[in-house]
Amino acid sequence: MSSTRIRAALCLVAVSVLAAMGLTACGPPASRGLHTEARTDYDPWQPLNRKIFWFNDHVDQYVLEPVARGWDWIAPDVVERSVSNFFVNLRSPIVVLNDLLQAKPKNAASDIGRFAVNTTVGVVGFFDYATPLGMPQHTEDFGQTLGWWGLPAGPYLVLPMLGPSNIRDTGGLIGDGFASPAGWFISWWILIPPRVGEAINSRALLLKQVEEAKRASFDYYVFVRDAYLQRRNAQLNDLSPGSTSGTEQGEDLYHPDAAPPRDAAPPYGGPQS
Amino acid sequence: MTALRSAFLTLLLACALPCAAALAAEPGAADGSGPRANVQSTTSQVIAVLANGSLSVDQKRHKVEEIVYAQVDFETLSRLVLARNWSQLSEAQQKQFMEEFRQNLSATYGRNVESYKNEKVQIIEDHAEPRGDWTVRTKIVRNGSNDINVDYRLRQVNGTWKIIDIIIENVSLVANFRSQFQEIISNGGPTRLLQVLHEKNERGEPLKAPAAATS
Repeated sequence: MSSTRIRAALCLVAVSVLAAMGLTACGPPASRGLHTEARTDYDPWQPLNRKIFWFNDHVDQYVLEPVARGWDWIAPDVVERSVSNFFVNLRSPIVVLNDLLQAKPKNAASDIGRFAVNTTVGVVGFFDYATPLGMPQHTEDFGQTLGWWGLPAGPYLVLPMLGPSNIRDTGGLIGDGFASPAGWFISWWILIPPRVGEAINSRALLLKQVEEAKRASFDYYVFVRDAYLQRRNAQLNDLSPGSTSGTEQGEDLYHPDAAPPRDAAPPYGGPQS
Repeated sequence: MTALRSAFLTLLLACALPCAAALAAEPGAADGSGPRANVQSTTSQVIAVLANGSLSVDQKRHKVEEIVYAQVDFETLSRLVLARNWSQLSEAQQKQFMEEFRQNLSATYGRNVESYKNEKVQIIEDHAEPRGDWTVRTKIVRNGSNDINVDYRLRQVNGTWKIIDIIIENVSLVANFRSQFQEIISNGGPTRLLQVLHEKNERGEPLKAPAAATS
């Protein structure tokens, strides 16, 4: 049973990758010029995206956030962080797989060590002893792998319930779903409760931040879109945390008058050289 | 068993790498008035105010505002946030934008004065950017929670280094506001932007105007 399942999973990954490629190939030639002109060119489906965003926000407001608040009230911060660690640790094999697919053997080694330490010493992942030992958490996923291999990001896309994404990351999400070892052995519907639990727990850790973001933003939809794209771009290019610095695209942000009209690589589109 | 052993070998290897990286970190620019010194003094002054138990919330907000006003170049910040749209604004509108935007920022971030929980700021490193700006990377160390990476972008204006952007966990404040304002401007022009800003400030109980510490 499991071997057919694996085969089916691999087929689906392949199909989703191909679909993603096909879709992006048909889409607009991605966006050009970081943070410059009207950025509707990478968000051509904005009207639909806004509707889904509105829907997600309402689910959050009326279901997820209240539940998360309840959980936050019951669980001390330490517990929330441990639960979060647990889920992060569960994802480690996928991170390693994606390290390898992106030819990052050092990170893969570190992440294997991390998984070993946190699963054993860290009591199946509830405690993170690996970070202080010099094995920080890497965020690698299939979406980044596809980007690393040069697949363009494609238009911005808000997924129902799952939130901000783009065509490439959506394909990546499907890939990660099938690469997850748990998915090979356990039926998908059994995996839903843990996923929900994870969502509630992560939301509980973000109560204040989301509230702040909503209050601070002028257009919450754009705020989230931009934050997502900036962060994904940084992750894809493995920029040191906290900056777009050192890249020409990053420079254009700070010299808007000097920025020549270029037909450089699309922003957030692929790894920078 | 062998798997376990190799895992620990990788562990050792992984431990050695960051140490080597730390040794290579550069000390930074000129001492005294350099960009690193600016960030160092700004953050430590702010933390000193926040940690000062004898000040009221309002006093804290005013003091923090004073420090920040002195170190941030709001004009450059405003220009960068509006980018090419800046020239669409009349001179009066530009002034109004700067003022309202500054008010908005201090109202937004001033709220956080109350939630200070003994966080510390560590400067990680600093480096020059290709066209003369400087980046100082810091992290906010929180008790028990994950650190927050905060980068400061500085530019030399009339001989002094001033902060022109703050990048929190890879999200640049300038870029993020630029996207939001761009959306508003393309739907309703600069007038609409000023109106939205103004309305938000009215709603968001900004600070009662402090004895003008204008630049």
